[in-house]
Amino acid sequence: MDRRLAGAKRNRMTVAVGSPIEQTRARYPDEDGYVERDGVRVFYEVYGHGEPTVFLLPTWSIIHSRHWKLQIPYLARHFRVLTFDGRGSGKADRPAEVEAYTEGQFAADALAVLDATRTERAVVVGLSCGALWGTLLAADDPDRVEGAVFIGPAVPLAPPHPERAVHSFHERLDTDEGWAKYNRHYWVKHYEEFLEYFFGRIFTEPHSTKQIEDCVGWGLELTPETLIATEEALSLCGLESFRETCKRVRCPVLVLHGDEDAIRPLAQGAALAEATHGTLVTLEGSGHCPHARDPVKVNLLIREFVESMARRPT
Amino acid sequence: MSVVVQTPREQTRARYPDDQGYVERDGVRVYYEVYGSGEPTVFLLPTWSIMHSRHWKMQIPYLARHARVLTFDGRGNGKSDRPEEVAAYAEEEHAADSLAVMDATGTDRAVIVSLSLGAQRALLLAAEHPERFARAVFICPSVSLGRPLPERVQYPFEDVHDADEGWAKYNRHYWLRDYRGFLEFFFSRMFTEQHSTKQIEDCIGWGLDTNPETLVATRLAITMGEEETRALCSRVCCPLLVIQGTADAITGESRGIALAEETGEELVLLEGSGHAPHVRDPSRSIFSSETSSRPRSRRGGHEAGRGASGRSSSAPRSGSGTRSGTLASPASSVSSIPTSRSTGWRSIP
Repeated sequence: MDRRLAGAKRNRMTVAVGSPIEQTRARYPDEDGYVERDGVRVFYEVYGHGEPTVFLLPTWSIIHSRHWKLQIPYLARHFRVLTFDGRGSGKADRPAEVEAYTEGQFAADALAVLDATRTERAVVVGLSCGALWGTLLAADDPDRVEGAVFIGPAVPLAPPHPERAVHSFHERLDTDEGWAKYNRHYWVKHYEEFLEYFFGRIFTEPHSTKQIEDCVGWGLELTPETLIATEEALSLCGLESFRETCKRVRCPVLVLHGDEDAIRPLAQGAALAEATHGTLVTLEGSGHCPHARDPVKVNLLIREFVESMARRPT
Repeated sequence: MSVVVQTPREQTRARYPDDQGYVERDGVRVYYEVYGSGEPTVFLLPTWSIMHSRHWKMQIPYLARHARVLTFDGRGNGKSDRPEEVAAYAEEEHAADSLAVMDATGTDRAVIVSLSLGAQRALLLAAEHPERFARAVFICPSVSLGRPLPERVQYPFEDVHDADEGWAKYNRHYWLRDYRGFLEFFFSRMFTEQHSTKQIEDCIGWGLDTNPETLVATRLAITMGEEETRALCSRVCCPLLVIQGTADAITGESRGIALAEETGEELVLLEGSGHAPHVRDPSRSIFSSETSSRPRSRRGGHEAGRGASGRSSSAPRSGSGTRSGTLASPASSVSSIPTSRSTGWRSIP
């Protein structure tokens, strides 16, 4: 019964507007499930029924597929949306071996998810490291990938920010200032502090406290040991082999890169666009995750790109 | 090919006014805006002149899709004049400006919505011009009822204090010395909710649109005491809705609760909200205001013996006497916050 009906001595009610204990979603998946490869299970979700399928790829396992939460409800109104938690993150397994986290493994998981969901072809969207396996998919499985969008791609086609090349990841350091926190020994001892620092650098835009808080929470869903394994695997990706991979990409490519990206320089996004004959859109003032911080802008760009696929002569 | 998507450097608006202009009284001009053309007119009153009408920016575009929206910059900020005399900022002057804006825009009758100090001019308007106000919504009203926050009563505004920590910053000398420092403190207390950096930044910017001298004058003009407030409450005959945040760190929740008690009118407590829920939780606050179309209920029993002048309702009766709107949140619960009546405190935002 409506508590504000007349008859109460005072028409008084309390409405809770505080944060819910558990985050609710604007839209829930229409289908979800697991696929298993070599004993490692990853968790996928499907939203909507439109055409084509937009496949939101996992990124570095420091966060899981909820980082797409501002894309899913919008894109699912226009397309079918597929996403999954990359191995090491979310509801996916966390194998201990470094070899389990190479870009080839993520690409193979992505194909397995396409198969399990009866998805013949999709437009893939990859964030940061997601560009590594996204590019691999586009190069090696051209019949499954209609187009690719890469956001803040972390690709070895241009040098990193100089401040990120100073400190060793493996050695014990005598400082933990700034990027010296990107160090396996620091992670083991001060994992949450690392996450806070790292996501503080991801979101260089003002008023990002909510986004940072979300990401730190997702980062805490795995252990520093797992994150170390993923980092070691990613560092195996070399320039020459990746340049060769890019050459094999034939589908349309859209690269979105913030010019204030403090994780990966704009030059990496520009180089990827060039190497794949794609289009580069520079997002002025944006950091490494414009899709989380400026979702409307990014969603419109993704939608426009996906719809341009349909207009292409086949 | 390369495209640059630019972020605008200046705040744009979701909706721009359909009509705007100035009204002048005794040489003081205030700037008003009109949005939409629906019925009824929702009149978003100015609050304390530490801010101007842009603080309603989350309400205007939404409400203007359903109603005609009228707002103006209170004297002392925004595009309105900044007279120097304290007397120019009396509540009666703000109320008279409000009527002048209604006249200038051909608005016979309106629903008034006020924030904080705006409650005082809203009470004046509703009590003295019942034919022009169909309903009144009070968001975190700053009225001299209930109890002040204890931390706010230790530092008299005009004295010189040794410290300038916390609420000691609410002080004329501090304002003149470090105006921005005061604004930063004040608005950090206004938004007690997490993730409010944008709202705080906006408000500081609006505070900087006026100056400490003007703000001192507006502060010294606040004189409405408890007795006058009670007298006005007894004369208001349109239905009221009080929306109050339970984590309000500017006036405390006590003021809003006391206003609802005093008038026997409806109270919605927003759990966890600070002093500006319409800015920080705009969807919820709009929802509340929207559902307030009910007839005036009876007075609270404890006031039955007080003067009853002006109580005959001239407000239109809508519905059957029960609430038609709902706040159908499963989380809703009737609060049982005890109220107590204290005396002699003047509410200062």
